[in-house]
Amino acid sequence: MRLLKTMAVLVAALAVVGTIGLAQTKIRAAFIYVGPIGDYGWSHAHNEGRLIAEKTLGIETTYVEFVPEGEVETYIDRLVAQGYNVIFTTSFGFMDGTLAAAKRYPNVIFAHCSGFRRAPNMMTYMADFYQVYYLNGLMAGALTKTGKIGYVGAFPIPEVKRHISAFAIGVREVNPKAEVHVRWIYEWYNPAAAKEATEALIKDGCDVFAFTEDSPTVVQVAAERKLPSFGHYSPMQAFAPDHCVSGQLVHWDKIYVDFLSKIQKGIYTSKNLAHVDYWWLLPQEAVELGGEPGIPVNPKFVPALKARIVDSKVFGKISVYDLVFARLQQMGDPGVSFDPFEGPLYDRKGVLRVPAGAWMSYDHLITMEWAAAGVVGPWPGEP
Amino acid sequence: MDWQSWVIGIVGRALAFGTPLLWATLGEVSAERSGVVNLGVEGMMILGAFSAFAVAQTTGHPGVGVLVGAAVGGAAAFLHAFMSVTLRANQYVSGLALTIFGLGLAGLLGRGWEGAPLRQALPAVTVPGLSQIPVLGPMLFQGHTVLTYVGLFLAVVLWILLWKTRWGVVVRSVGESPATADAMGISVFRVRYFTVTFGGVLAGIAGAYLSVAYRPAWTEGMTAGMGWIVIALTIFSGWDPLRAVGGALLFGALYHLSFRLQGLVPPELLKLMPYASAILVLALVGLRGTWRRGAPAALGQPYARGER
Repeated sequence: MRLLKTMAVLVAALAVVGTIGLAQTKIRAAFIYVGPIGDYGWSHAHNEGRLIAEKTLGIETTYVEFVPEGEVETYIDRLVAQGYNVIFTTSFGFMDGTLAAAKRYPNVIFAHCSGFRRAPNMMTYMADFYQVYYLNGLMAGALTKTGKIGYVGAFPIPEVKRHISAFAIGVREVNPKAEVHVRWIYEWYNPAAAKEATEALIKDGCDVFAFTEDSPTVVQVAAERKLPSFGHYSPMQAFAPDHCVSGQLVHWDKIYVDFLSKIQKGIYTSKNLAHVDYWWLLPQEAVELGGEPGIPVNPKFVPALKARIVDSKVFGKISVYDLVFARLQQMGDPGVSFDPFEGPLYDRKGVLRVPAGAWMSYDHLITMEWAAAGVVGPWPGEP
Repeated sequence: MDWQSWVIGIVGRALAFGTPLLWATLGEVSAERSGVVNLGVEGMMILGAFSAFAVAQTTGHPGVGVLVGAAVGGAAAFLHAFMSVTLRANQYVSGLALTIFGLGLAGLLGRGWEGAPLRQALPAVTVPGLSQIPVLGPMLFQGHTVLTYVGLFLAVVLWILLWKTRWGVVVRSVGESPATADAMGISVFRVRYFTVTFGGVLAGIAGAYLSVAYRPAWTEGMTAGMGWIVIALTIFSGWDPLRAVGGALLFGALYHLSFRLQGLVPPELLKLMPYASAILVLALVGLRGTWRRGAPAALGQPYARGER
């Protein structure tokens, strides 16, 4: 009887402790976006990830869109006052404001996307596309007839430069003489600028297109001339079912669900994030090859890619189609056995950037300013 | 690259990019000629763009979309007329409010419309016969939608209306001196309501062009600041519909060149070029003194009978 009583007390005590524990980790997550969620690009993709996290984990979330980069602290203040205890800020320009807020609210957890500054209660995260861009490059190099591939770039910053160079490395692997012509629009989102930049590239003889801009404009403009292109960020194959070859897709939900569930379990707290950085690529399935989820290569282009045989140093005689999947497997396996930025790698000026046999370090990747061989056009900040 | 392809490229793109600028500028010229500044161009355009896309997507008829875009643009401008003519609110504030309101409302209503292209875009027309002329044919008579040609035609019509008809005298006199016009028995109220609403109709069509012809898709904020270029072009054109054609085409050409010439000139410089040239031309015209003369004297001033 006494044993039973003791056990009952114990169970009750445990229940109380458990409830307190649960109450402490009850997540109310807020997301701050730089653009509108209707852009069908960056902010749209983050919001899709938020919705999946909300559903998967059964937590409460909210979002604020169109937040000017200089005003992020004001919005954080308001969200904290409303009781949100996990705050995601999803633009590079939010970095300093988020860090300042993290110091002001030591019990709130912050997560900043695409930056490099952390605190005990602030982690960083990024789903990067460079591997996928390389795979797109392999296909682009096989499909070009003029030997000129057009690339509409947003801003000449390391992230975009890294993607263009990875893309060009892929192009050159199957088509050593092909060129990647770059035009900059100096905006993340401007459909009209993207359209005119594409038109300019078409006039200059480019016949395959890839881009960094948050709308499907480039895909649509290329399709008007029946020219192949690669989608960016969101599923864009629907915008050109016969002409969108593949593309890059992001799954922010993988990072959001992982991080938030670790907070739920008490693994991550507002004390231990100083060294937490999600740099998630193909193996973590944060990014995907394709213009539509589950379709790595548009079936319309499979025959052309299978017909194009190249002589690979590693695989011998192989079709570009098989090469894409062989590389995808090498980069997607947990023990990654290939990287696009594998030495020896020279930039377009002939300077050795990656020594033979070496891979680029994370720090080198996120700060790279040089252009790979085959890139043609202005390259502001080129070393 | 031979000169022909350059000329064809520049003029062709100038027409394509210049078309929405032209429509909206003609609308703003119409409103400002009667003395009402409407800074809501961006808002009217985006509302026109969204409503045109939604209707064209639902019905499958891009033409119907354009008409609805026009009506919605007109309705938005009517709101501005009510604020600035009837309530005599500050025109600049009311116009800015319209821009913010338009962007917000279109963004809200547009949720969920952004994931698919327009199933039937406004088709480009190839003018039979004329398109066969070397150089001129591919430049002017291929690849443009009917809105480009109607826009150019409208500029001529508007010029004739403003300068060669009694109607034009009435509109301009309201813009120059509403008190005098009022004393002569002209309804300042009615004229301003009409020109502002008409201006909104044209801005709505400009927006519709963007979402059903230029790039047949909807994404939030897709006008991306074009409305502000229109405000500048209105001043640039000296409130003259024919000069608006020149301004819109010049801006379109410079915009195209800013991407075309990137291999030769630093892109940062080219990005500035259209805007820098606008400032330069304004300064030159201003120095000559003819530009000031062009501005309607009562521009931006609400009119109330008995006040001065």
